Amino acid sequence: MDVDDKLTPALTLRGVSKRYGPVVACDAVDLAVRPGEIHGLLGENGAGKSTLMKILLGLVHRDAGTITRGTEPVEIDSPQVAVELGLGMVHQHFSLIEPLTVWENVILGDTGRIDRAAACAQVEEVSRRYGLPIDPHVRVDRLSAGERQRVELIKCLRRDPSVLILDEPTSVLTQAESAELFTVLRRVVQAERRAVILISHKLAEIMAATDRVTVLRRGAVAFHGATKDTTAQELARQMVGREVSLQAESAALGLLPVERPAPVAGADGTEVAPSAAGPTQEKPAVLRLREVTLLVGGLPMLDRLSLDVAPGEIVGLYGVEGNGQATVGELLSGLLVPDSGTVEIDGRPVDLVRPGALHHAGLGIVPEDRHHSGVVLDMSVAENLVMKSLAGVTTRGVLSRRRMHRIAQRQMTEFNIVAPSPDTPLRSLSGGNQQRVVLARELSAGPKALVAAQPTHGLDVGAIEDMYVRLRQAAAEGVAVLLISTELEEVMALANRIAVISSGRIVGVLPTAEATAERLGMLVGGVSH
Amino acid sequence: MATLGIDGTGQRLLRRLNPGPGGWQVGLATVATVGVALGLSALLIAVTGGSPTASAKALYQGSMASPAAWSTSLLYVAPLLLVAVGACVSARSGFFNIGQEGQVLIGALAGAWVGLRLAVPGPLLLVLVLLASVVGAGIWAGLSALMYRFRGVNIVVSTMLMTFLAQQLVSFAVNTPWLLQESRLGRGTLSPQSNPVPENARLTSLGDYPNLQLNGGLVLAVVVAVALALVMARTRWGFRLKMVGLNPATARHAGVRVGALGGIALAISGALAGLAGALLLTSPVSTNRLQPGMSLNIGWDGLLVALVARNNPLLAIPVAVLFGVLRAGGSFLAATGVPSFLVDVVKALLVLAFVAPPVVIGMLRRRRLADEPATPTSTPTAPAAPMGAPAPTAPTAGSAEAAGSAPAGSAAPVPGPRTTAPPPADPGDAGTAGNKDAMEGRLA
Repeated sequence: MDVDDKLTPALTLRGVSKRYGPVVACDAVDLAVRPGEIHGLLGENGAGKSTLMKILLGLVHRDAGTITRGTEPVEIDSPQVAVELGLGMVHQHFSLIEPLTVWENVILGDTGRIDRAAACAQVEEVSRRYGLPIDPHVRVDRLSAGERQRVELIKCLRRDPSVLILDEPTSVLTQAESAELFTVLRRVVQAERRAVILISHKLAEIMAATDRVTVLRRGAVAFHGATKDTTAQELARQMVGREVSLQAESAALGLLPVERPAPVAGADGTEVAPSAAGPTQEKPAVLRLREVTLLVGGLPMLDRLSLDVAPGEIVGLYGVEGNGQATVGELLSGLLVPDSGTVEIDGRPVDLVRPGALHHAGLGIVPEDRHHSGVVLDMSVAENLVMKSLAGVTTRGVLSRRRMHRIAQRQMTEFNIVAPSPDTPLRSLSGGNQQRVVLARELSAGPKALVAAQPTHGLDVGAIEDMYVRLRQAAAEGVAVLLISTELEEVMALANRIAVISSGRIVGVLPTAEATAERLGMLVGGVSH
Repeated sequence: MATLGIDGTGQRLLRRLNPGPGGWQVGLATVATVGVALGLSALLIAVTGGSPTASAKALYQGSMASPAAWSTSLLYVAPLLLVAVGACVSARSGFFNIGQEGQVLIGALAGAWVGLRLAVPGPLLLVLVLLASVVGAGIWAGLSALMYRFRGVNIVVSTMLMTFLAQQLVSFAVNTPWLLQESRLGRGTLSPQSNPVPENARLTSLGDYPNLQLNGGLVLAVVVAVALALVMARTRWGFRLKMVGLNPATARHAGVRVGALGGIALAISGALAGLAGALLLTSPVSTNRLQPGMSLNIGWDGLLVALVARNNPLLAIPVAVLFGVLRAGGSFLAATGVPSFLVDVVKALLVLAFVAPPVVIGMLRRRRLADEPATPTSTPTAPAAPMGAPAPTAPTAGSAEAAGSAPAGSAAPVPGPRTTAPPPADPGDAGTAGNKDAMEGRLA
């Protein structure tokens, strides 16, 4: 690749910054992509990858910095300009219209007369050229995820892009489909001297498929270099590699087993086997997932996942988005039913088909998307607080508003819910206060186990602190807490044990004291297997 | 209703009648749009060669001028109200039933069959007729819930298509001698209609007033409306129904059997439409015979009543009266020479005038929200103004929140106002997320 270094980059970004209020999404990012190379872009969720790509596609306007296409500076202020400049992107979530056929999807957005024969011919031509076999007449809803991806690629490639951006392209693909995809990309790069930006969090993929790699961390470039000169370990460290400062604080609160024998570090740092999944305490697990498998569209979202949470401990379920934590959250909200395996609470399996079974069994949950399954925005604060324990406010089926108010008032004081009155519609509360309502409701039911899925997403600092205190308090009172999070710091700050999920399985469970950025990074990247 | 108190409870009732945030805007806009609708109607009548003042007079005379006119109006009010209350129940659950027209017919069919085939003495027959119509139409609407449950058939579509099936069924019944066609008397040709139901299966007027007739059906309808309003507002069942309608995912999560509850709501709404059909059959509004056209579009109009009443069963009472008045006045007006389709146009204009303002204002508010740039920190501290004085960019969720949290801001750990959406996201999401959820729940 040394030759490539001397080439004029196809696309150069210099000091590109973007802020959203106090949040720095991109902090003076430099990135140069040369023709004929696959450039890996690695980073955690929220590291700024998506914002950067949105800037390139003209969806978001940068605050500072320059973008150079070839040798001339360009201004990408709309998606049309991006297309004219030869920037094409395949998004992680497909933008195909399912009831339409392949060729119809491909020409979608074109102007002028529709020429079916020409469109089909073009699809076939592109698919032959790149080895992406597809029948242009088939309806998209009949296609597998891998085939849909081919359609997306064809959509992109027919416009002859000089820079092709792929966002997490393998997240929905099987192993074989991924391998196929990378063969195609190699062909695109070598035969036609196009440039490819590959966004991924899978270390193995980055190592195998890219020529150069840039690691983003908190919006800034943390690492940049040729792939062959680096290692997966190095990249893992760079990706999640802040010093875990919050660990000391957590230990000080007595939540961490401080003195632990140092682990016998294996050469690759991945000696932590899933067999360590048993609870650290002597007490039997309150919440236990056993060999849970859940298929979505034929792909396993959860693959024989087993996890135990003992009373009084906080287990952090950590992993990158799209690897199944969201599914675990939905499963434990009672919104999904597993294809096999059981969920046990206090030793008894729960019948997940029955609505509310988990709640009755003693599981509280702070769902990931509270607007979807946590609250009813158009009901009042009081109604939201009592909706799961209506028995307490009804006599022979009739609601007592007075009792409802009393309970609501008490919980609002106890949980610092700031609202003008219990009758205020929940919609008009801030995100932090809405989340407090959810937490108040769940904790007031006296749960044996509590699941908190991304509990601090979109909250401000005060509300986050509050949430942390409540979760610790719940654990201290003997509740088994499962914290599902994609934020490493959050997991490190709160959890006693960290279970790492990758591709729907637990790839390792380790005590927080033994968790180093590198080891977590390796596990998250799925390198342990 | 039990909340009809003086101060606190009265205010609560008012609030419940309030269509939501920005209520006074909606009220003002409604007054304006009704004015426009009336003006347009007058213009239409003038253009087609009529006299607007004479028409208004005729409308009034036919519906409200005398006790007799009122009697006619009120005869229409009862079935309209029943259909509307049923529509409120199903709409509240998110399982939208729009097949009331057919359910009215099925109710009348079941009632007519029982009334003509069972020889039961006394008013018991009337009770049985009403029960049969309730059960028959309830099951008929329940079929749509089953189709949804087992085949995923869209409820709006299936309830509507079942209407056409119901029309064919009634038509078949009254054209088939061994079913319900009228018996041959002498040599006359047989009409496609049934025999009139016997006297003891008819709803009579309550009390004895000269000229004024208060049919028992009206009392029944009002009682049902008030009862259902209470049930929906005050019981656990009503609470769950509301939850299912507003957010099925949360409802399921909270232990509600969403499908079953929605199915029951659908069946109730069908049953009430069926009862409306029985009223049409047994009250003097018709010939007391089962006829293919006897539903008189009551099913569709009842839906409109619910729409105008914004799915509030208590508000549906005055709205149903308005529609009954328009109906009675309309037929009188048609008799004076104004084409009857114009009456329908006037009615449609009025419906639009009532329905459009809240929708349009809601849309404007959302647009304003979306137009505001994503600047969660542009207001660094909570506005200094107390609650009563909102920020100049008044009714956005962001500032409403700020106003809400400002007074307690010093005590709360929250450093400043926040929007509900995470910072980089489109702020419009927060406002529309709930609606989207609801829509998905309904249409999924």
